Amino acid sequence: MKTALRVTLVLFILCLSSLSAMAQEGGIVVRGNAGADPTAFDPLLTNETVTADIQALIFPDLLSVDPATASIVNGPGPNALATGWELSDDGLTYTFSLRDDLYWTDGEQIDADDVMFVWDFIQSGAVPTHLSFVADEIANVEKIDNFTIAVSFDEVDCDAILSIGALEPYPSHIAPEDLTTMPDQEFNQNLYVSSGPYTFGEVRPAESISLLANPDYADAELGYVNNDAFVLLNVPDLTVMVERFLAGELSIISGPQEARRAEIYAAEDEGRVQIYTYPGNSWDYLAFNLADPANPQNAVDEDGNPIDQGMHPVFGSTEVGRDVRRALNMALDVDDIIERATFGEGTRMASHLVPASWAFDPTIEPVPSDPAAAAQMLTDAGWVNSDPDDPTSVRVCQGCATAEDGTEMRFVLNTNEENARRTAIITIAQESWDKIGVKADIQTLEWGSYLEKLFTQTLDAYVIGWRNGYPDRPDATQLFTPASDVVGGCSNCMSYNNPEFTAINEQARILPGCSIDERKALYAEAQRIIQADTPYIFMFVRNGFYAAGSEVSGFDPFPSQLLWNVDTWSITQ
Amino acid sequence: MTKFVIRRILQAIPTLFGISILVYAIMLATPGGPVAALTFSPTVTPQERAALAAQLGVNDPFHIQYLRWLLGDDWMRFDSDGDGVADTAYLIPLDADGDGEPEPSGTRRGILRGDFGSSFFHGKRHVVDVIFERLAATFELGAASLVVGLTIGIPVGVLAAVNRGGYFDNFTRIMAVVFNALPSFWLGLLLLLVFGGTGLGLLPMGNRCGIVLVGGCPPFYERLEYLFLPTFVIAVGGVAAYSRFMRASLLDVSGQDYIRTARAKGLSGRMVWFRHGLRNALIPIATLLGPTITGVLSGAAITEQVFAWPGVGRLVVSSITQKDYPTVMAVVMFAAIATILGYLLSDILYALIDPRIRLR
Repeated sequence: MKTALRVTLVLFILCLSSLSAMAQEGGIVVRGNAGADPTAFDPLLTNETVTADIQALIFPDLLSVDPATASIVNGPGPNALATGWELSDDGLTYTFSLRDDLYWTDGEQIDADDVMFVWDFIQSGAVPTHLSFVADEIANVEKIDNFTIAVSFDEVDCDAILSIGALEPYPSHIAPEDLTTMPDQEFNQNLYVSSGPYTFGEVRPAESISLLANPDYADAELGYVNNDAFVLLNVPDLTVMVERFLAGELSIISGPQEARRAEIYAAEDEGRVQIYTYPGNSWDYLAFNLADPANPQNAVDEDGNPIDQGMHPVFGSTEVGRDVRRALNMALDVDDIIERATFGEGTRMASHLVPASWAFDPTIEPVPSDPAAAAQMLTDAGWVNSDPDDPTSVRVCQGCATAEDGTEMRFVLNTNEENARRTAIITIAQESWDKIGVKADIQTLEWGSYLEKLFTQTLDAYVIGWRNGYPDRPDATQLFTPASDVVGGCSNCMSYNNPEFTAINEQARILPGCSIDERKALYAEAQRIIQADTPYIFMFVRNGFYAAGSEVSGFDPFPSQLLWNVDTWSITQ
Repeated sequence: MTKFVIRRILQAIPTLFGISILVYAIMLATPGGPVAALTFSPTVTPQERAALAAQLGVNDPFHIQYLRWLLGDDWMRFDSDGDGVADTAYLIPLDADGDGEPEPSGTRRGILRGDFGSSFFHGKRHVVDVIFERLAATFELGAASLVVGLTIGIPVGVLAAVNRGGYFDNFTRIMAVVFNALPSFWLGLLLLLVFGGTGLGLLPMGNRCGIVLVGGCPPFYERLEYLFLPTFVIAVGGVAAYSRFMRASLLDVSGQDYIRTARAKGLSGRMVWFRHGLRNALIPIATLLGPTITGVLSGAAITEQVFAWPGVGRLVVSSITQKDYPTVMAVVMFAAIATILGYLLSDILYALIDPRIRLR
């Protein structure tokens, strides 16, 4: 009897201890936000970086993403509505099976109607939305039953699944009849219905946004959300942000200024912080205008016929002047630029694909730095020093292919004035080119003015950047094909147009069967072509940088995925 | 007095119109626009950019955009037969983006009908809502700075005048120059580093209050430590200005006949300065009050930026940068109204304080 009592007592204690082990460890995760001051959150109306971060924490996704591989998974995943898809034989229709065990926090089941509503909203055009691109890419979305939807396309698109991912479930049962009133609905400021690891707490405009642990979160890794709350605290000044992080006022920060990272590394050495860095998805480049900036023209007319865009007097056109552009590339020491402009917090690029992309080919080497060879290449191309005894004297055209004899090798190099990193890049480029007789007049412009000049295609050369999406989409149709070479609203603002590149890029996008290996080979070929053409000097991706205080448990990021497991985090005091 | 006030308010109407036309014209004349800021992404097609520009109406001529802002667009494009599709348009095309389909009916009513429009950003919310939720923080910081500036600046000015040419006077003169010359971003950062968590750890490093999950910030008297540094940064300029203004005013008064008479009567220096001199020297301060109140409401963008203070100043700067025309125009109009009312208040106060002044 005594033994039985002892065993019972031990089991009871074990039960208690296991119960206490299951208890939430708690704490509030405080993240610094130097971005916009969001006051509106409806996922159909706004997707600024900050609001997108909030939405990701309180809404389910349609598709599951593997954070380790940064790829969409054809299967179930945490906080994802679809359990997988089947692709029709013609490759045009994806049929998704949806979970039947996900609920909004007000008890309504999440089902196909919540996806269909998003599609209907986009098509309605009732309110301008960042999702309008979905209507251009997807032909139709159809509800088969409450837990099955079919998404169809007009043509095979190997990246179609990325477009479908934008159809994230929306609580359709709270939407107003009149869609034009959605911006004025309470839901736009208070996401009172959600379904992720957190529920909406409150927004203090331009100051903080609090999210509360969702006790009913169905897919919690531990069975419960391990912290009490997540707070996004606005700290608009980046210098102050680092100070406040080091002072312990913030649990985590991301992307601090490169100039301040050394202090954070020092704190890591002291055991006060944890750091994760990776080659990011934001990249800077120096672009050459490959058309006549004095007479900007679209690449094609309304019927799709090519329009003569002329050529730039220094940089030529896509076909003409490759050697000159390559020489200008070789005259720069990009590694030195990375060191001086980003304090070493950048990773070299060889082409238009970021190292984190699945299609990136690491065997393609960046263009090497060799100023002497660059000078010789310019001379060979008909650009000779005006004073043969002075290698820094301005070069003039003597038999060059792009300008009349006697034309000096001078051009304007622009960037946006608010960006110290890019200002450093153009300054270093100017110094480097000056040594071989290439004279760049550097000018910085206010962002709005800069974009206007960029869109009107009147710039000579410019430094700017792109930020790729997540997961990465290697398709370069908008960046490097005539489709987006439109004066007044371009992404291919430098008028690059190589039919071979365009064809290979398109082939990779619509490849029957969408074999990853075959597509990768095609994208590798595209990378080689574009590096040889040198419409850009591909510089670097800015290294992503996440830091958390040592009090944060569970900090285990992947590239571009800081918060993938935030439901397991706790804050120990 | 009543006639004066009514006349001034009526005079304000053409002034406000003039301001609105001028500001709108300047704003549209600046390079760039919201579409570029909203769509600078490699995934956005030129067609999508054009469609967004058409929806926002930002490519329309100046007079159309101004009229839309002033009178709305529900009469410019509307559905006359009730089938839900716009079929009638004045001044603007029915199919603005050229896709063969009419654009939706206009929904804006214009500011003359009380509709200041919706922000291009901020989730397309009404700009009045966006602005008003920032006003409390701006007023809190502005009022605190004003109170500190006046309560320190005026006594310092008086003492400097009383001790004219003395050590204190010279010291305050130098300090006034220093305080006026200190850039607020520099002073703010310096104070933050000295008193914040990485320095002495005596004061919080920003925001309006600590972490609050729900329920908003507590009343200001329970979080004065958050007000201390930003208030000081803004107030130093006020202390410098008010002290010099007060000193000059008091010295000016000290040469008046009635002061000489008071001295001749054998009154003590304290009585002469504080009973007779100070009261009259304070009258010109009233003229500062109107514009000062406007300043209180307009925010202090740099200080708000450094201390993460959620005021109107930051909103204005970001709206101008983003070319968020509706928000910029709304702030400008509110500021213009506040300025006009501020000066009107100054005039009225001046008349109330100084019996020699009569408003006509």
